[in-house]
Amino acid sequence: MSNMDTHIDRKVVLQLYRTMQLIRQTEEELARCHQRGLVHGACHTYVGQEAIASAVCSNLNDHDAVFSTHRGHGHALAKGMKPLELIAELFGREAGCSRGRGGSMHLFSPEIGMMGTSGIVGPCILQACGGGYSSKILKNGTVGVAFFGDGAANNAAFHEGLNMASIWKLPVLFICENNQFATEVPFAYAAGNSSVASRGAAYGIPGIEVDGNDVIGIYRVAKEAVSRARAGEGPTLIECKTYRTRPHAEGMGDFTYRTKDDVEQWKQRCPILRLRTRFSAEYSSEFDAIDQEILEQVRAARAEAEASPEPTSESAMTHIYSPPQIVVKEKPSPDRESKVITFSQATLEALTEEMAVNPNIFVMGEGIGIRGGNFLTTKGLYAIHGPERLCDTPICERGFVGLACGAAMTGTRPVIDFMFADFVLDGLGEIINQIAKMQYMSSGRLKMPVLLRGCIGIGHSAATHHSGSYYGMLAQVPGLKVVVPSMASDAKGLLKHALRCHDPVLFLEHREILQTKEAVPVDEYEIEFGKARVIQAGSSVTVVAIARMVHLVLAASESLKQQGISVELIDPRTVTPLDSDTILQSLAKTGRLLIVDEAPAHCGFSAEIAARMVDVGFNELDAPIKRLTGAFCPTPYSPSLEKVVVPSVEDIVKSVVQLMQE
Amino acid sequence: MAEEIRFPRLGWSMEEGRFVQWLKSDGDLVREGEILFEMEGEKALQEIESVGNGILKIAADAPQPDEVVQVGRLLGYLLLPNEKVPEDGSPSQPTVLTDVQPKADEQGPQGIEPAEDSISESRVIATPRARRLAQETGVVWSELVGSGRDGRIREADVRNAAKALNVSSQGVHKDGANRFTPRRKMIAERLRMSREQTIPVTLTTQVDVSQLVAYREMQKKMQNVRVPAFTDLFAKHVAIVLARHPAMSIRWNHDHTELHDVPASEFHIGIAVDTSDGLLVPVIRDVSTKSLDEIVSQSKALIEKARSGRLTREEMSGGVLSITNLGSFGIDAFTPIINAPEIAILGLGAIRREPMFDAYGQVKAVERMVLSLTFDHAAVDGAPAAAFLKDLVSEIESVH
Ligand SMILES: Cc1ncc(C[n+]2csc(CCOP(=O)(O)OP(=O)(O)O)c2C)c(N)n1
Ligand SMILES: [Mg+2]
Repeated sequence: MSNMDTHIDRKVVLQLYRTMQLIRQTEEELARCHQRGLVHGACHTYVGQEAIASAVCSNLNDHDAVFSTHRGHGHALAKGMKPLELIAELFGREAGCSRGRGGSMHLFSPEIGMMGTSGIVGPCILQACGGGYSSKILKNGTVGVAFFGDGAANNAAFHEGLNMASIWKLPVLFICENNQFATEVPFAYAAGNSSVASRGAAYGIPGIEVDGNDVIGIYRVAKEAVSRARAGEGPTLIECKTYRTRPHAEGMGDFTYRTKDDVEQWKQRCPILRLRTRFSAEYSSEFDAIDQEILEQVRAARAEAEASPEPTSESAMTHIYSPPQIVVKEKPSPDRESKVITFSQATLEALTEEMAVNPNIFVMGEGIGIRGGNFLTTKGLYAIHGPERLCDTPICERGFVGLACGAAMTGTRPVIDFMFADFVLDGLGEIINQIAKMQYMSSGRLKMPVLLRGCIGIGHSAATHHSGSYYGMLAQVPGLKVVVPSMASDAKGLLKHALRCHDPVLFLEHREILQTKEAVPVDEYEIEFGKARVIQAGSSVTVVAIARMVHLVLAASESLKQQGISVELIDPRTVTPLDSDTILQSLAKTGRLLIVDEAPAHCGFSAEIAARMVDVGFNELDAPIKRLTGAFCPTPYSPSLEKVVVPSVEDIVKSVVQLMQE
Repeated sequence: MAEEIRFPRLGWSMEEGRFVQWLKSDGDLVREGEILFEMEGEKALQEIESVGNGILKIAADAPQPDEVVQVGRLLGYLLLPNEKVPEDGSPSQPTVLTDVQPKADEQGPQGIEPAEDSISESRVIATPRARRLAQETGVVWSELVGSGRDGRIREADVRNAAKALNVSSQGVHKDGANRFTPRRKMIAERLRMSREQTIPVTLTTQVDVSQLVAYREMQKKMQNVRVPAFTDLFAKHVAIVLARHPAMSIRWNHDHTELHDVPASEFHIGIAVDTSDGLLVPVIRDVSTKSLDEIVSQSKALIEKARSGRLTREEMSGGVLSITNLGSFGIDAFTPIINAPEIAILGLGAIRREPMFDAYGQVKAVERMVLSLTFDHAAVDGAPAAAFLKDLVSEIESVH
C-alpha cells in the first residue's frame, strides 16, 4: 500500500520522528547500560520496530488502554512514559515506572493508559479485549490495544481473543509485530498459515498487513482502526512486518538462526532513516534539532536514573492486596429477622443486590445469560440487566478469564462464572500470572476486583472432571483470596464482600450443599474474609472443616455427643486469608485437632492448618494433629468407588474417637 | 505362654500398695532383670524387676499411676511376638484386652525379633500440653505413666498426678482438693496398725547433753564435714545401752504372735525423717559394729534418699528401735508411736540451757533435753523399759 500521494501533517511527521528517535536513543542507552551491569535482569530492546508503537500510539489518548509484551519499552515510551521512569525501572530504582518491582517485562503506568507489559507471551491480547469490554460497559469510548509478536499469534490467547472481540464487536486493536522470529524460531516454521493478517477473516474481523517499518503507513491504518473501534464497529487485526536488529535480548547470541547479512540488510530499512529520507527536503533541520534534544534528554534521564535510590526493603511486600475494605454492615445477630433459604438462593441474592447498585459489575460464563446459569447462579438477572452485563461466552475459559483481567484493570468488576471449578484450570495462567500478580506488580496502582466462582466437590458420580476442589492449590497464590463457604448465610455475606472488595477472589461452592438451607438474615450484611466461624462450640476436640465436610462433621458430632465427646467445629470459610487465631483459641481449649477436608492431604489446606498449629499451638497440643482427607486420587465415577475417596460421617466419628485415645 | 505380671506383696503385712508407674511402655520388649515398674509398698518406693522375657502388654484395666492397688492384681503380660493375650487370662475384664503387635518400628528386619538396640530405648513421651501443665504444677512428668497411645503422657495424666501427689509445696492445692493422698493414707494405715497392735506407754526423763553439745562444737571447729547429728549420737549410745538390756532388744514376728531376740550384731536403728512426701523411717545398719563416722555418713545418705523419694523398702525395714527428734521445733516431751514390729521408740526433745546443782551444791549451766521413750507394754514391762532409759541417761551423761 502506498502513502506517498496523500498529504501528511507536519506535526504528525515530526511527532512520529521524535517518538521513534526517543525509543531508539533510549534503547541504545539501555543496551550500553546493560553491558555496564546497570540493568539487573532481562532487556529486550525494540530497536528496528520503533515505527509500530510510535504510529499506533499517536492515535491514542491517555484513556485508551495499551497492553504489551516482554518487548515493551517502545510501547511504554510511545504511550507517553518518561525515559527516566523506564530506565530507572530497568535499574531497579524507586523512580521506576513499577517502583523497581518489574524490570523490563513488567512496565506499568496506568495513569497514561500504559496498562502493563507481561513476561508471558499471549495474555496482553485477552487483556486488551477486557479493556474493550470495559469500554462497552462504561460507555467511555476508549479503545483497548494489544501489541504482541508473531510468536503470540500462534498462542490460544490470539485465537480466543480475536473470536471474543469479534462476537462482541469490542473496540480493540490487535497489533501483531511480526519480526519473523520468536526468539530463534522462525515464524515461517512455526505457522501453518504464514499470514497473520489473513487470520482475521477466520474470526470475521478485518485483518490488514502493513510494512512495519513504514511509520506513516502504519499511522494511517491504525488511525482508521481506532476510529472504527470508537464508532462501535469492532476490532481490527493489523500485522506489521518488521525485524528486530538487535538480539532477542541483550547479551544473547544472535547468529545461530540468522546471518549478519540479514541483519545488515534490515538495518538499511531502518524506519527512522526512512522517514527522515522521505521528508529530508522539508524538515531536515527539525530532525537534527530533535536528534540533539533527544540525545540530551536520554542522557539526562540515564544520569538521573542512576542517581536515584533503590526501593526500601519495607516496600517488598506491600500492595499484594488492596487495603482492606471496611465492612460497615456486619452479619446481624441471630435474633434479627431472618428467612430460611438455600445456599444457592443466598448467593443469588448477594449477586442480585450488588448488580442492582453497581453498574460496573458484569457476569461472564457459559449459559449464565437467558438460561440463568447451570446452577441458577444468575437466575432472573438477564431480564433485568441484558446481554452485556450477563454475557454468555464461547467455551474459551482461558480467553474470558484473561478478558476479565483486562476488564478489571480498566475499571469494571467482572464476575466469571465457571459453572464447574474444574474449568478454572484452563484459565490458570491468567489467574495466577496475571490477575493475582497485577496489583503487586503495578505497586498498587491497579485494582483487581475480579470474582471467579465455580462449583467444587465430589458427589453424585460427577467423576473426575466435575468434582475437583482446587482451593488448596490456589490458596498458595499470593494476591488471590480463596473463599469456600459451607453455610447459606456465610455464602451470602462472603459473596457480598467479594463483590465489594478490590482483590481477586476465587469463590468456590460445593455442589452437594447448594440446596442446604439456613436462616439468612433479612438485613443487608457482608462478611469479612479471614474470619472463621465457630459452627458449634465444644470442649473435647477441635475439628476444622470446610465446605461440605462441615455438614458431615455436624452429623458426626451428634453421635459423638452420645459417646461423651463434645466437638468444637470451626469453619475457616476462607482459605486465603486463613484465620489461625480462631483455630488456635479452640485448640487452647481442647488440646486436640482434627482437620477434615475433602481435598487430598498432600501439600493442602489441611497441611497448612496443621503446620500453623504445630508452630503457634505446640504447647496446646495434647495429641498429634490428625487429618482426615480425601484420597490422593482422581475422582472415580462408580458410586462404590466414589464413596471410598471422600471422608464419610462414619470416618469422621472413627477419627475423632481415635484422636481422643491418642 | 503369656506370663502374667501381678502386683507383688513386699512386706509381711502388705495388703495393698500404690502403683507408681510403668518404666516400660506397652509393646516394649522386656528382658529378665530389667526394671518393669515402680510401686510403693509401705512407706518406700520399690522398683520391680521383670522375672521373665517378652513383649509387655499392659492390661486394659491396669492401674493408673498413683492408684492404690490390691496385692495380686493383674497388671499385664509378657508375650511372645504375635502371641495373644489369653482369653481367660485376666480375672477382671479379659475381653477388653486386645491383640498384641510389637511396635512396627521395633520389629527386626524379618519382623520377628525386635532389633537389639531398640531394647534399651524406653523413652518417656509427653505431649507438649502435658509438659506445660507439668511445669506449671511442679509434677515431674517423666515419672508418670501415660494413658495415651503407646504410653504417651497426656494432660489428664499430669492433672491426675498433680491432684494425687502432695505438691502443696508448689502451692498447687486448690481449695477443697483432697489432701488425703495415697502416700498419706499409707502412713496413716501403718500408724493405725501400730496403735491397734501395741500397748504404748511413754516414759519421760531429763538428760544432761552438755557433753554431746561440746563434742559437736568441737567437731564443728575442727571443720569436720561430717558433724554428727544428735540423732546419730543417740543412735550410737542406744546401741551400746541396748546390748546391756536384752529385755528391750526384741522384735515382733510378721503376724505379731511371737517375740524374738535381736542380737547386738543386728542392731539397726531407725531414724524418723520428715519429708515433703510425709514421714519416712530409714534404718541405719549395724550400729553396734560401726564407727560414729560410718554411722554419720550412712544416716546422711539415707536422709538424702528419703527427701528425694528414692528410699527402697529394704532401707526402711529391719530396725530394732527408732529415734525421732522434735527438738528443732522446740518440743520437749511427746508420745511417739512405735514403728512396729519394733517394740520401742525414743523421742528427743529440744536442748535447753538450764541451771543445775552439781554434786557440790554449786549452781552451774547445763544443756538439757527430755527423752520420751514409748515402749510396747505387750512386749515388755515398765521396769525394764525404765531401767533401759535410766542406763541410757547415765551413758549419755558420762560421755567425755
Ligand atoms: C507463554 C510463554 N512461553 C514462552 C515464553 C518465553 N519467551 C519469551 S519471549 C519469546 C519469544 C516471543 O516471540 P514473539 O512473540 O515473536 O515476540 P518477539 O520476541 O519476537 O518480539 C519466548 C518464547 C514466554 N515468555 N511466555
Ligand atoms: Mg517475533
